[in-house]
Amino acid sequence: MTFTQWRRQSWNIAIIVLAIGLGLWRINQLPQFGAYEARTFILGILPIALLSMGQALIIIGGGINLAIGAEAVLINVLSAKFMEGTDFKTSVILAIVFLLLGTGVGALTGWIISTSGIADIVVTLATSFLLVGVAMFVMPQPGGGINQSLANLIAGNDSNFLPPLVWLILPIVLIWIPLYRSRLGVAMYAIGSNKDAAFLSGVNVNLTRVELYAIGGLFAALSGIVTTGVTLSSSPFANISNTATLNSVAGAVLGGVSLAGGVGGLVGPVIASLVLFFIPTILLGFGIDPSYSQIVTGALTIIVVLLGGILRRRTGKIK
Amino acid sequence: MAENSLLRISSIAKSYGPVIALKNANFEVQPGEIHALLGANGAGKSTLVKILTGVITSDSGTIELHGKPIRFTSPDQARKNGIAPVFQDPALIPDVSIRRNLILTGTHEARFVSELAAMGLSINLNETAGNIELPILRMIDLARALTHDPELLILDEITAALPVDLADKVISIMNDQKTKGKSVVFISHRLAEIEEICDRATVLRDGIDVDTFITTKGSEERIVASMLGEKNAAARTLTRNFTSESQSSIQVEIRNISGGKTLSDVSFSIKQGEVLGVAALEGQGQNLLFEILAGEAKPTSGEIIVKGEKVKFSHPKDAIQLGISLVPGDRKTALLSQRSIRENLALTRFRGVLKWGKIKTKEEERSVDNAVAALQIDTRAKSQVKRLSGGNQQKVTIGRWVTTGFDLLLCFDPTRGIDVGTKQQIYELIRGFANEGKSVLLFTSELREIQMSCDRAIVIYEGKVQATLPINECNEENLMNAAHGLVSNQ
Repeated sequence: MTFTQWRRQSWNIAIIVLAIGLGLWRINQLPQFGAYEARTFILGILPIALLSMGQALIIIGGGINLAIGAEAVLINVLSAKFMEGTDFKTSVILAIVFLLLGTGVGALTGWIISTSGIADIVVTLATSFLLVGVAMFVMPQPGGGINQSLANLIAGNDSNFLPPLVWLILPIVLIWIPLYRSRLGVAMYAIGSNKDAAFLSGVNVNLTRVELYAIGGLFAALSGIVTTGVTLSSSPFANISNTATLNSVAGAVLGGVSLAGGVGGLVGPVIASLVLFFIPTILLGFGIDPSYSQIVTGALTIIVVLLGGILRRRTGKIK
Repeated sequence: MAENSLLRISSIAKSYGPVIALKNANFEVQPGEIHALLGANGAGKSTLVKILTGVITSDSGTIELHGKPIRFTSPDQARKNGIAPVFQDPALIPDVSIRRNLILTGTHEARFVSELAAMGLSINLNETAGNIELPILRMIDLARALTHDPELLILDEITAALPVDLADKVISIMNDQKTKGKSVVFISHRLAEIEEICDRATVLRDGIDVDTFITTKGSEERIVASMLGEKNAAARTLTRNFTSESQSSIQVEIRNISGGKTLSDVSFSIKQGEVLGVAALEGQGQNLLFEILAGEAKPTSGEIIVKGEKVKFSHPKDAIQLGISLVPGDRKTALLSQRSIRENLALTRFRGVLKWGKIKTKEEERSVDNAVAALQIDTRAKSQVKRLSGGNQQKVTIGRWVTTGFDLLLCFDPTRGIDVGTKQQIYELIRGFANEGKSVLLFTSELREIQMSCDRAIVIYEGKVQATLPINECNEENLMNAAHGLVSNQ
């Protein structure tokens, strides 16, 4: 393995070791650990892991989506509102409709960025306000529901942790692996790595960006519906979407995705979301106020970014 | 003859804002020919290649392929029509493996490997492109282009900085293409190669094709002559205090500086009151040389000696403190374009200002006013320097160092894209500095300006000092020959 490849792998290994260490620590805190506790872990990370994956795709492609949390909140609110009291079949159809809607919202965001030529961060900041506003309009107060059979199919019940585990792994198997192997996957790394070289290689830069935002939107919609399935309700608040967005960025960065674009994958962010989940729960286990856990999470993210920066500064340039 | 041409370009024009890259370019390639495209820096070669390969579209004019009009709107479309380019900077994605780079362009992997094997190269397809050396990367890019079996292969400066064995391989590949009845457009600054391998040559100057001819032994002179065009009328002569016999002491000396992929073992010195010209074709390492002297980049080896003392720069501020200031080639990187002339001129004055103290507005105003007057800056649009003309912007970047003070000014192509009158003013300014006993290192892509503005010139070719010329020998022909590696007096 070359140095760069080793370095990339070393990052994944480090984050896996960290996640396992924290996981063992958390398990040690619990009076017992079984299938039920495992399910709690998975449910704890599922929404944020899906969001981190969506964010990771966009960041690898050289962008960033500050509205990804708002996209998830909007789909959460819509699904909880319209799925409440429906039968299983209707709920499933609605779920598919909302997944498509999330994809469409993402595609539209990508199209606006490509067409306007305005920075991703500006456009998505604006769309985040817009989408949360729409969510509050759809459902001004927390509430709603979902068909119980569908909820069980998403979140499992009691000690059945298989359904949420499937929802965690399925996107990797059905979306990430085919994407990575496709021309779109190469194009994604290409535009994030060097947009001009990508263009010269025949990549349609704008179309690729739209496609990435669309898939990011699909992940956000999955996250929103999963949240409905896990919590059996929805909350339309901006602080939820903001926290979710920032966690998705933290998850992607901790998971080895370079904010400069062109580097990373989707498995790292999933592992990283475990880390992000264990830190507050472990501190809570010690009876420490969860607000302090933000200090730890923040400090950890800074250290990781700092280390990455130092590793990258091997070139002769002083800047 | 016209009926069987592979590619015909007629009256192509292209402007970038006020800058005209191509005025009226005509170019024709026949099947089975190796055609050289030549021209000095800024003549429009790159623009023409970009239009041919669909990277940009022309403002007017027509392109005919096999006699049918066509308009290329993307590199992909050009490739599908049988036009495959290999650029000076390989178009491979640095963070991605070679295998995945091949997927991107829809390149057949097995055929690519056999093309590469035919060159005598074998690589690990899983290697990340960014980890591969530039010469090999160029060969990979070439092999990728060949895999598509192009009707027309466009090689843009591919042999620059290639080791001899690889350059020879490229040449034999070009001959193979020719034997197969395919065509090659070859862009190179190595005139010796052109004579040897090309069938015809087209020379561009100032965006117009000035000459097309069949290359034979001795075409070099004709090429150089048409690249230069008619000699411009001699510019107003400037009063020089400096002569080659001047006994002034050495201001800055560099010894055996090497760095990056380009610079190797460069040594020279600049005396007080001397303007030392640097002539080089694009990409010969001059950018890095200036960056090293300005403290922006670190050399891998070698010494910088300022007034007899060895120094090391780890930040531009170290160089500035020793009196070495840079006027960069790209004015945008030097100026705070949204801010006023005053702020831009005063930006580097911090040397004389207390770190936490209040900025002495009155004093600042005075020194800025002096600079504005000395430089004859047009202040009608003083609130935002981005609204100034290119020439006036350049004066602000120089004027900044007038207000701060310096001993050695590094000017990187200060007159690029500037009108003749302002050019003259800038050279008067530079001469004024020298007459005050300051030194100037001046790189210019316009060779004819060296004799007018410098006291001595060094020519850099492939990262080395190819020649050092006294001012009376700095005519364009000598400079051009040395810049192409044809003569050396080192």
